[in-house]
Amino acid sequence: MRERAQRWVMQATAGAVVGLAMGLAVGWWLWPVQYTNTAPAVLRQDYRDDYVVMVAAAYEVEGDLGQARERLILLDPEEPAAPVTELAERLVEASGSVQDITRLARLAWALGAITPTLTPYLEGQP
Amino acid sequence: MSGFSARQLAPVIGLVVGLTLGLVYAWIITPVELVNTYPALLRTDHRQDWARLAALSYVADGNLGRARARLEGLKHEDVASAIQVLIEEYAAAGRPADTLRSLTTLAKALDVHTPAMLVYLYTPTSSSPAYASEPSLTPTPTPTARLSSLKSHTPTPHASSPLATPTRKPTRTPRPPTPTPLPLPPFQLAQQEQICKSGQTPHIEVVVRDEHGAGLAGVEVWLMWPGGADRAMTGLKPQSGAGYADFNAERGVPGSVNYSLGIGELGMPLVTDLRIAFCPPKKGKEPLLGSWRIVLERRPSETE
Repeated sequence: MRERAQRWVMQATAGAVVGLAMGLAVGWWLWPVQYTNTAPAVLRQDYRDDYVVMVAAAYEVEGDLGQARERLILLDPEEPAAPVTELAERLVEASGSVQDITRLARLAWALGAITPTLTPYLEGQP
Repeated sequence: MSGFSARQLAPVIGLVVGLTLGLVYAWIITPVELVNTYPALLRTDHRQDWARLAALSYVADGNLGRARARLEGLKHEDVASAIQVLIEEYAAAGRPADTLRSLTTLAKALDVHTPAMLVYLYTPTSSSPAYASEPSLTPTPTPTARLSSLKSHTPTPHASSPLATPTRKPTRTPRPPTPTPLPLPPFQLAQQEQICKSGQTPHIEVVVRDEHGAGLAGVEVWLMWPGGADRAMTGLKPQSGAGYADFNAERGVPGSVNYSLGIGELGMPLVTDLRIAFCPPKKGKEPLLGSWRIVLERRPSETE
């Protein structure tokens, strides 16, 4: 009787281990949680960078600093200008597009976050 | 028999319990982390803002390839909706014609249509360069090329002011003057009449028509006064006729502002010394500020 019970427990445990493995496989790989309705903050880094560049370009066209700030707050609520200066400096270091850097520098300047590295790109700014 | 069933049942029960625990752990306790998403997964309002930003960036840099790459993966309806709203909003706000032309060029390239863009698609371009076929400044010709490919940027020697670096300056060779598809013909004043209706706000109505009297849509009309100017496109109020446009003329003391009216961005004024004045007094009625209705007609061409 006792032996049978032991065997039952062993079989149940083996089943549970297999089930657990299957559950994890299904939950993490085969059929993971699908996220929609996400925010710009969780975009992949290259998309985030592109977002920041587009915000700077939109600021150049529309001149709406409030709107630019609102968009950047979605990336960094504490320091909205941080993604701008960080990306601009990264682009400077990587010899990126001067046009993009200039736009970012202008936006950074408007947000009061210009850095010495970006100052040379502010030609024409007061 | 029952012992056999219990033995068979053990692994099944274990499997079910294990599977449940596994799914709870994988889906609820430690689900897949929400990082590295892409624009198509953004919330609807963010997605539309992304499309709007891509369109505005196109206005700024004129790089169609880059705009396409940015909009790749988004549903056409999201892109269309965002661009339509942007064009209509800009047209209503009287944004510069070049900006609207850029937007409508992008809209056309993306197969987006809105009535407001027709006006700008078929009006002649100004002297400012059209961007659509210019070389792009950033090396993002392929749809997947993004800013992450920073290494792919051609290294450039640094100067003290990168803006002045000749090597990175875009070779923006202005396009040779393109033949204007619809050159604006000369117009002449056909009619000028004061409108006296009670309750109206002082305004200037303009009707532009061809030599046969048919209204002409998409004609840019300028109202100028000392220290200012306003622009309108005919045909944006179809209920008033294809060639109709109007301007608010509530400026300063009645009669103090001297308006002139012209067609085209560099057009010479066709009507000058236009002032908002009181209508002829009527007995027992309060004085009424009049508006103007100006009819401009295209001169018959010499070949006709």
